Amino acid sequence: MFDVNLDRRSRDFRPSRRDFLRVGGLSALGLSLPSLLAAEAHADSSRGAKARAKSVILVYLGGGLSHHDSFDLKPEAPAEIRGKYSPIPTSVPGLMIGELLPKMAKLMHKVALVRSGAHNNDHHETATNWVLSGRFGSPFGDFPAIGAVAAHEIGFQGALPPYVAIPQNPSFTWELGRSAFLGGRYESFKVGDPNSNEFKVRDVAPLEQLEVSRVERRQNLLSVVDSLARRVESNDQLDTYDEFHKRATTMILSPESRSAFNIGEEKDDLRDRYGRNTFGQSCLMARRLIERGVRFATVNYAGWDHHAKIWDGLGRNLPVLDAGVSSLIDDMDSRGLLNDTLVAVFGEFGRTPKINKDTGRDHWGPAASLLFAGAGVQRGRVIGSTDKEGAHVTADPVSPADVAYTILESLGINPRKTLMTADGRPVEILDQGRTITQLFS
Amino acid sequence: MPPPAHLFAAETSRRRRERHALMKFLRIFVQAVAWLFAVGHCLLQDGVAIEQARLEVQPPSIVLKGPRAAGQAVATLHLPNGRSVDVTRRAAWESSDSQIASVTAGRLQPLADGNCQIAVSLTDPELGSLNARLDLTIADRGLDEPVSFRRDVLPILNKFGCNGGSCHGKLAGQNGFRLSLFGFDPAADYNSLTKEGRGRRVFPAAPQRSLLLEKAAADVPHGGSKRIEHNSAAYQTLRSWIAAGAPWGENDTSDHLRIEVYPNDRSLTRNDSQQLRVVLHFENGTTRDITSEAEYKSQRPEILDVDPHGLISTHDVSGEGTVLVRYLGIVQIARVSVPFSDTRLDSDYQHFQPANIVDQLTLEKWRKLGLVPSENSTDSEFMRRAYLDCIGTLPTPQEVRDFISDAGSDKRDRLVDHLLSRPEFVDYWALQLGDLLQNRKERDHDVRGVKNVRAFHQWIRQQLAANRTWDAIARDVLTASGDATTNPAIGYFVVTVGEAGQPEQSEVVTSVAQAFLGTRLGCAKCHNHPLEKYTQDDYYHFAAFLSRVKLNRKEPKDGVTQLVVSRQDAKQNKEPVGVTQPRTGQFMKPQTLQRKPVAVDPGNDPRQQLAGWITNPRNEYFAGAMVNRLVQHYFGHGLVDPVDDLRTTNPPTNQKLWDALCKEFVDHKFDLRHLMRVLMTSRTYQLSSATAPGNSADRQFYSHYNARRLPAEVLLDALSASTGVHDRFSGYPQGMRATQLPDPGLNNYFLTVFGRSPRTTACACERQGDVTLPQLLHLMNGDSVVQKVRDPSGRLAKLREQKANNQQIAEELFLATLCRLPETRELEAIESLAASDATGEVWVDLFWALLNSKEFSFNH
Repeated sequence: MFDVNLDRRSRDFRPSRRDFLRVGGLSALGLSLPSLLAAEAHADSSRGAKARAKSVILVYLGGGLSHHDSFDLKPEAPAEIRGKYSPIPTSVPGLMIGELLPKMAKLMHKVALVRSGAHNNDHHETATNWVLSGRFGSPFGDFPAIGAVAAHEIGFQGALPPYVAIPQNPSFTWELGRSAFLGGRYESFKVGDPNSNEFKVRDVAPLEQLEVSRVERRQNLLSVVDSLARRVESNDQLDTYDEFHKRATTMILSPESRSAFNIGEEKDDLRDRYGRNTFGQSCLMARRLIERGVRFATVNYAGWDHHAKIWDGLGRNLPVLDAGVSSLIDDMDSRGLLNDTLVAVFGEFGRTPKINKDTGRDHWGPAASLLFAGAGVQRGRVIGSTDKEGAHVTADPVSPADVAYTILESLGINPRKTLMTADGRPVEILDQGRTITQLFS
Repeated sequence: MPPPAHLFAAETSRRRRERHALMKFLRIFVQAVAWLFAVGHCLLQDGVAIEQARLEVQPPSIVLKGPRAAGQAVATLHLPNGRSVDVTRRAAWESSDSQIASVTAGRLQPLADGNCQIAVSLTDPELGSLNARLDLTIADRGLDEPVSFRRDVLPILNKFGCNGGSCHGKLAGQNGFRLSLFGFDPAADYNSLTKEGRGRRVFPAAPQRSLLLEKAAADVPHGGSKRIEHNSAAYQTLRSWIAAGAPWGENDTSDHLRIEVYPNDRSLTRNDSQQLRVVLHFENGTTRDITSEAEYKSQRPEILDVDPHGLISTHDVSGEGTVLVRYLGIVQIARVSVPFSDTRLDSDYQHFQPANIVDQLTLEKWRKLGLVPSENSTDSEFMRRAYLDCIGTLPTPQEVRDFISDAGSDKRDRLVDHLLSRPEFVDYWALQLGDLLQNRKERDHDVRGVKNVRAFHQWIRQQLAANRTWDAIARDVLTASGDATTNPAIGYFVVTVGEAGQPEQSEVVTSVAQAFLGTRLGCAKCHNHPLEKYTQDDYYHFAAFLSRVKLNRKEPKDGVTQLVVSRQDAKQNKEPVGVTQPRTGQFMKPQTLQRKPVAVDPGNDPRQQLAGWITNPRNEYFAGAMVNRLVQHYFGHGLVDPVDDLRTTNPPTNQKLWDALCKEFVDHKFDLRHLMRVLMTSRTYQLSSATAPGNSADRQFYSHYNARRLPAEVLLDALSASTGVHDRFSGYPQGMRATQLPDPGLNNYFLTVFGRSPRTTACACERQGDVTLPQLLHLMNGDSVVQKVRDPSGRLAKLREQKANNQQIAEELFLATLCRLPETRELEAIESLAASDATGEVWVDLFWALLNSKEFSFNH
């Protein structure tokens, strides 16, 4: 009962979060992590026994990846549609992709390609929130991103937050893919740009070097002076504050979390392979964090909105994408992580078949390409197809709800489960959609 | 007595006079009856005075006409103590003639024409045997009345969710089948069903093979699963309609007047039930029972559920909630109240002495609900709270000491007056109004620059400093013209109209409605509003007032952006004022949201009349929107929630308090400071945040102060003030506080992470008060706290320099952060730790602890 509806305001008949997390002040220093983990073990009970994946990496291509120039080339189409690139063969017989993705070409036997992503919206914010949550709503995000849902259902396990965004959440003119009615508790934890000089995650590395006795004294003083919560019952914000205070303490003090974010621990040649840029290093960071217990990592790569000069834009972006994603898949595979991790790569829509007067392509909802890998995904599979202009789907359409449904269900979360908004409104996580079964069988 | 008709109900002035006359008569009549009872020997308790228990059936008589008519009767037991209890399912119902009609739990099923009586009886061990009677007339039962699309089919599509926003009612439809949302376009829906789908949707030759029925009953796979059962009345009605050739039928829905819900306001216990009865009233005076045809939705699902036949069930939770009842675009509500306790005594309320009208009305509500208010706050608590709520800053340690030692009995009231005249009041409320008026740079292609954001902010400050009334400020913003340098208030339109070619295509209509009227008109831009009576036509009629706004946008290097009201030269251009409705293509002239047409001369600025209507003292939403924001600000929770979602179907949790505060605001000419004074000087505002037994679950009725996290700017300033180390904001002079910042786009991690409002839309929800993990990391381990506590120019360093002793340091730190003196047990703990500390670092630790306590970062 406790883990189902973590609504903003706890009710008479539900035990408060504090009751479950009544860990002694000193022991919250990470010195007795097991007690925290034990308290959270119940949170796992919402997950089914048959989860395909333990974690998810979502590579989000903000702006809309041009499918004509990446994974769904139309070399036979007229010049104003087929564009500049030629198709190249891949490690999957008969499958050709764009020439600017040679590394991916060698790896296509490890991934599944969906060429039939389709919906009917061409507005950045609306479509982004739609594909990230699986539900159509306003541009301002009425429904939580699936990462936030995962965080809600899985909860904190260990020192690291369950849901991270690297470097940030997607945004266009305002932040997208937020936690909506689930509230700030389930927002992604923003890691920042791992490619920056002297990269540090904000406020995680201890600012002061304090001995354990000092730390204890501070916590002691805090529990002496902070008596507000004892007088106020059933205040959800106060409860959340206490909980996050403990979590923050653990994150700051545990060597486990500090080391997780320390990308400098990775070998230079590996870092080079991923690409010494924000995206490449973000993919590497995602692998690190998944390895250390993070359950949902969104790697946000914006800048695909090529309304003009598309060859310049793609000329820059595609090689970066190529290096980052291929390294991620290979690296995870060789470490044995790919079996338990579902990797998904997509943007909010495809782009128009006809190249416009500014040598660009515009928004196009009816067709898009998506990639999946890991966690039971059949290797080398191609699902769906588009017509000869790459305009409309001709087989096996896949909707944003289907994608979200598949990802959640792979984690063992019931996508039709009902959540509660802060004002007590029951809302299904997803109101439609089905698992893309062709991915797994 | 009918509730006062809402301001937005469409009614003629003749009808209004009639209603006023009727209400006056009823008032006198009821008073006379009450007087008679008082003279008589009756028990007078809360509620209606009656002599003994009485069983009542509503309606006492009913005519059910037509082959598809049915009805719901409700049996109520009226108890001597004034309570009314639904016994519809407990009572025994018997028809005097089972050939004419049968009855089950009040549900009347006609069988043949004729008259009969329904006997309702209840046997109660204490009250004995009680009886009531319903006279029933059945007519036209065998009439071959054709099924009408609008009357019979459309309500089914609504009721069973076919045309909801997540299914066929969304803009794109579902799987190729598209309906208008909640049936707002019956003609289009009729076409979709009968002419599209290659004629497979309705198949008169074999109705049960129609796709409409096959899908709805899940005879074939249906993404929406099974919606209706084969043996249901709905299935039969659809089948009959199809069999008759799917006719359009009578066009008789244009004269629906209203729906009546009985009972519309009832007190229930936990785990209780209440049957509703819903009647559709036509303009010609006839009625029809639509209890089973109406749609029902609980607006507080944690308190109560409602089933498709109008049966309410309450849960094990106390509070108040409403049920939304909807039929073909008309909405109505039923209010349900579930008391927290019914065993409260007068002595439970002795400690609460009302100081003003607010208190009288909150107390009345608490007594009705059995809620006991908490104790009064301490002087420290009150002072800190009042400072933070009213001027967004902490009091200084000296101010705290002075207040605590002030012996005057009126010191709290004096403190309120003092705060309302402090210069920081202007800072803080300019910030709040800046949020409401969306003062920011534009999202794309900003043409004014930060300079004008600052100028607009400055303008807002000037209005507040001069205590200009809210209606005057609103009028000035709504009618602003000219260029951005001379009239910074045009910034409101620059941001909301933006680059849209026509204002009605931009967000300005939604923003104006939400900011000034607290109403979410936005839904109606594309379809009729699902929860309120606003239609898409209403939206565009309202948008017509803003149709003449034209922005001459200029990059700052090329010139100054101007707002002009186009086509003001009547000689050159005689086009009437209005906009084109995008769906129908009709030309929409200006009309208020009350559907009153307003004649606007093409040479004039229609915004003048818009502003006149909006700021009219009789416009309940204008006064209410600001009242509600202020109540939410000070009391933690608005009378209406969400704070800017006023609608008839979302009533205030305390109607009398709402009415009183709106009246107070209007009577005092929309004086903002005055209303705040009324709120802050109430005893209700001054209640402790410590919960009392039984009131911790209260979120709606203000029985205790609602402890909540401080807003971003206030918290940042509090950290600076208490540590004595101030931030320097890029582009602003040293010493400027966060609550003084004009521009929400200023890059600042603290403010972002603590939920400063980016002012993207007019929604009050943009400012976020949630507690999150990065916030805690920042407080515990970020530069805002860690470096400031030990800063050599900060408060602690100064205390050490002055060689203050342990107690002095502790007291000063407590006063500067928590605005109170340390308790004895706290001092003792601190002293003992200090004793074993040679370095003095214990004070850094204490300071850190104080700033990381909830007592610091919360307002309580």
